[in-house]
Amino acid sequence: MIKKIRAGIRLVAGKWPPGPELEVYPDDTFLIAYSKSGNTWTRFLLANLLNPDKQVTFLNIPELVPHFDVMSKRFFRDARRPRIINCHEAFRPHYKRVIYVVRDPRDVVVSLFHFQRKRRIIADDDSLDRFVTRFVAGEALKPSRLGSWGDNVASWLLMRDKDPGFLLLRYEDLLAGTETELARVAKFLNIEATPERISNAVVASSAHRMRTLEKIQGNQWHQSKDTRQDIPFVRAAKAGGWETALSDESVREIEGAWSGIMKILGYPLRFENLPERLPLRDAEKLLR
Amino acid sequence: MIYGVKRVLAYLMGADVAGRALAVYPDDTFIVSYPRSGNTWTRFLVANLLHPNEPVSFDTIERLVPDAEAQSSKYLKRIPRPRVIKSHEYFDHRYKKVIYVVRDPRDVALSYYNFSRKYRYIDDAYPLESFVGDFVHGRLSSADWGTWGENVGSWISTRLGRENFLLLRYEDLIANPEAEIAKMANFFGIKTDAMHIRNTVERSSAHRMRELEKAQGKDWISTKDKRPDIPFIGSAASGRWKLELSANSVAEIEAAWGTLMKTLGYELSARRIAGDEEFRGVQPAVSAGQH
Repeated sequence: MIKKIRAGIRLVAGKWPPGPELEVYPDDTFLIAYSKSGNTWTRFLLANLLNPDKQVTFLNIPELVPHFDVMSKRFFRDARRPRIINCHEAFRPHYKRVIYVVRDPRDVVVSLFHFQRKRRIIADDDSLDRFVTRFVAGEALKPSRLGSWGDNVASWLLMRDKDPGFLLLRYEDLLAGTETELARVAKFLNIEATPERISNAVVASSAHRMRTLEKIQGNQWHQSKDTRQDIPFVRAAKAGGWETALSDESVREIEGAWSGIMKILGYPLRFENLPERLPLRDAEKLLR
Repeated sequence: MIYGVKRVLAYLMGADVAGRALAVYPDDTFIVSYPRSGNTWTRFLVANLLHPNEPVSFDTIERLVPDAEAQSSKYLKRIPRPRVIKSHEYFDHRYKKVIYVVRDPRDVALSYYNFSRKYRYIDDAYPLESFVGDFVHGRLSSADWGTWGENVGSWISTRLGRENFLLLRYEDLIANPEAEIAKMANFFGIKTDAMHIRNTVERSSAHRMRELEKAQGKDWISTKDKRPDIPFIGSAASGRWKLELSANSVAEIEAAWGTLMKTLGYELSARRIAGDEEFRGVQPAVSAGQH
């Protein structure tokens, strides 16, 4: 009860993060990604793109590309429009302009496994195989509003693909051609960005620079300060690590759950002839 | 500020309407639909199916199949588990077991128009054609539940073909309620016989529900203080749009959601739908894998 009263006072004072109850304006852009899908990197890229004269670090990123579970309701109310808002939600119809970052779920689970060890949610000797099973069931992040990887990705992609207010970025494309992808972001945000401004933003957000910043600021940044400092937040920053990290069994489990959506996204499967589980194709069959 | 204080008090007492903040239990079953798609009828069917020895009426339905968008968090916490809960939410991954009821959006628009007059959201002079425009473009009081296409599409694209998701079409419920109830019984894992199913249909008939509305409508949470001259229980028929919607309105709805409608088996009347040959989801993502 005391906890509730305290929460209530903060709520009235506007000091509470709004979360999904955030009041949305039509000119808001949401940066959305599932956990461990390049969200923080994209925030740095965006912050550097939008603020070429600022030093973007872990200490000011919470304000430059604010997350609605972190910054206060008042902060969002007073923020200059158009706002850019970071979150991890599955499909929400109120968000009309969305940049969605997606990453191969086989790499997501490996990264999430390390992240949950860093946060002391799982122990070092916990098995990755068992973690994958929980990941596929949408239970690797708890408690969580995100849903499973498939829920989160499919709900956005299938609802908003082709919508002019929706920009899909693949983490893998961001790695392979960061400038090209960031130029698409700039265009989406109606920012006139010279190639120089883009490449400056890319350099200022490099994995190398982010690792250096993490070494200095990791014990102060709200996301990492109370976590194990021996496991880095900024990790490999590579694609395809799953190929050696995951067992065949785990790969089959992930591909079996989401083969349809993975194919749409262009992630080659290791196993063929898995049941096609992109539901819409079967809709007519199922109804009759 | 006053609003804030009120909300905090409601939150402290658990008296706020549950809605999307509802605490979900793993053994909950949800009856989900867009508004005016046969949700209340399905609630009656499910209540009669699961509680053959209880009188199902507007007086008891909020206990048997409570409404997450009308009842408070506190109220819903007291409902004995496993609960069956009514909801209009667009995709919510926490709902593990879902019966989704879908209805032809052209009939939904028409029914919603009358409902909006009943609720005094619009007055009688408001043109149906303008209302259809609001309906298609998400300008209704129900905007928080998305548009028809967003609500239906978000569930179908994530859950269809998966375990624990049962899609029912309102039109099939009308045409052959016994077969659809058998699907529900199977979904709940309960044994039924022909008698039980027939009773379920009869006790939930439009005729009976209209009688109940006449007697209890002034007390039921979803109809009290609303215009009594317009019934909550509508035509309980399919295809009324053919008589009552203008060609423009039909074209507007079909242009917005044509492919999703076709996928669901709703035949289009307009010959060609511009710019929406495929439902969005079926096409590969344009940007992926092209670099």
